[in-house]
Amino acid sequence: MDTQCVVVGIGNPYLQDDRAGVVVIERLEQENLACRTEVVYTVGFEVMDKIRGCERAIIVDACMLGNEPGSILEVGVDDIFSTHALINSHAITLGTTLKTGYLCFPEEMPADIRILLIEVKEIKEFTQQMSPEVEAAVEIVVERIKSLIAGKVAAG
Amino acid sequence: MRKIEISPITRLEGHGKIAIFLDDAGNVDDAFFQTVEFRGFEKFLQGMPMEEVPRTVSTVCGVCRGVHFTASMKASDGVFGVTPPPAGRKLRELFFNAHYVEDHSVILYALGLPDFVVGPESNPAERNVVGLINAVGKEVGRDVLRRRGLAVKIFELLGGKPNHPVAAVPGGWSKQLCEDERKQIEEWSKELVGLGELTLKVFDDVVLKNDKYMELVTGDMYRVEVGYMGSVDEQERITYYDGTQKIIDSDGKLVGTFKGKEYLDFISERVQPWTYLKFPYQKKIGPWKGIVEGPGTNIYAVGPLARMNIVKGMDTPLAQLHFEKFHATFGAKPVHNVLAYHWARAIELLNAAEKCLQLSRDPEITSKDIWNKPTSCPGEGVGVIEAPRGTLIHHYCTDGKGIVTDANLIVATTHNNAPINLAVKKAAKHFIKNGDVSPAMLNYVEMAFRPYDLCLACATHTVTGGQSPLLVEIFDANGALYKTLKNF
Repeated sequence: MDTQCVVVGIGNPYLQDDRAGVVVIERLEQENLACRTEVVYTVGFEVMDKIRGCERAIIVDACMLGNEPGSILEVGVDDIFSTHALINSHAITLGTTLKTGYLCFPEEMPADIRILLIEVKEIKEFTQQMSPEVEAAVEIVVERIKSLIAGKVAAG
Repeated sequence: MRKIEISPITRLEGHGKIAIFLDDAGNVDDAFFQTVEFRGFEKFLQGMPMEEVPRTVSTVCGVCRGVHFTASMKASDGVFGVTPPPAGRKLRELFFNAHYVEDHSVILYALGLPDFVVGPESNPAERNVVGLINAVGKEVGRDVLRRRGLAVKIFELLGGKPNHPVAAVPGGWSKQLCEDERKQIEEWSKELVGLGELTLKVFDDVVLKNDKYMELVTGDMYRVEVGYMGSVDEQERITYYDGTQKIIDSDGKLVGTFKGKEYLDFISERVQPWTYLKFPYQKKIGPWKGIVEGPGTNIYAVGPLARMNIVKGMDTPLAQLHFEKFHATFGAKPVHNVLAYHWARAIELLNAAEKCLQLSRDPEITSKDIWNKPTSCPGEGVGVIEAPRGTLIHHYCTDGKGIVTDANLIVATTHNNAPINLAVKKAAKHFIKNGDVSPAMLNYVEMAFRPYDLCLACATHTVTGGQSPLLVEIFDANGALYKTLKNF
């Protein structure tokens, strides 16, 4: 097992607030953090591939769950696999991807996994401009992840 | 008249809904597949340097990343008036065939096969890829995922960047393959061929040997008589990266062939007020005749089944054997049975894996001569490829400096829009009788569009509200809601 911590940002860099996860990674990469960072534009099995072999993983994605724009949720795998078909615009949902990983590769999947979701405001147009609410949430999530990596917040 | 809505439809790319209208007796009067989102990616591309378009359009969709990349890369060759040298073309083909393997394997195992392996009337909470793995065993699941991961590694090694490739240059490929990398890809490709064989065995064991499933696969409830379009090589065999587009009508007679910009002579698009998705049709057969099937229709389909119908054979030996078995099973050609898309997809998975192995063993694949540098800018280019889910056309006009002034993307799901509507209506008429709209019946209706491997996303992957995966609303003859069904 790789002892490394990995932070995975998911998002489309050209799609308004959907790019939040990508921007979080861009900001983290400006810091000299003791973790590997990855960006993926999809929630397919690629996410599982990126975190397999790591003891610890932090995943950041945009969400549209009816909360106030800019809201930040910390959830577990089972929270986003609560129903068979958590509807997602991709073929495979993030919950399904992670659940499949823990089913097929239990010894390789991270023992400590945190999923941070940022509620979007606008994702209808192709633009690199995020809404102010999501922009502010990105900064909070960056600080939260830095704390997690630095061990300021207890794992688990 | 009563109205049933399935919204959003589950397990496909993007957002859409199905509306089914019942008559007073509770039988299906009509059904529509609607796309309720519009993204406008073409507008976003205007003003962009053409050489940057491939890596940008790879974000149109998280799943279809390799196909938009490849189609726009081919179009960029036209914009700059240059063609890649043989090694550059072969690297592109190797990359694209690896993408086929990973894409087809996900679509089959995560979207198509759960209906059969877990069962079409099984608990919806188990009818997904996790349920499939529980049914076939974790070891099989691990093996499939591991082998699929090797296709992704080839894709990333050649593409130059994880997930979303960057190696395209007008006139070639920017990343040369060294001998060690070639050997590695050859070893991985052997495993991909094994994945193709395993997948066809699973399909054979689960579907072909199951009489009940074969009634569905060969039955009229999932049969839509339309024309077909796809690419063929010089010997009229299957090809994905480049070829001549061949069109047949619903009787299998040749309508015509075209390359590049000539698509404008064959394809027109009809707009309907109730959906953002256009309805392409073959204008060589005649003016718009409506969303109708049967002799004389100018509706056509694309994708794996279309390709099985328009080609004379496969270009690899193992896939050819399965191609022959496929047509022997159905007899008449063209095959109009929609569920046969899944079988065709499995055959193509094997074919693409064999192509990867062939290309990895080609001595020319490690040549340094992979790029013909552009020296002019004619300004217009069309890239036509066979994406896993069907023909994809990228058409760009640029100014004299190669800046995009106009873009047009016709994707597979658009080509298939009318056939999908026909398939949904036909299945709905068969399975919904006397007002019986149980979730099991509605899954049989959804099974009519899943084979087309719809992709409506245009990029967003945002986690959306998971509380309403399948919502069915039934309206009485006066339009009042009298019953709601949901499976959550």
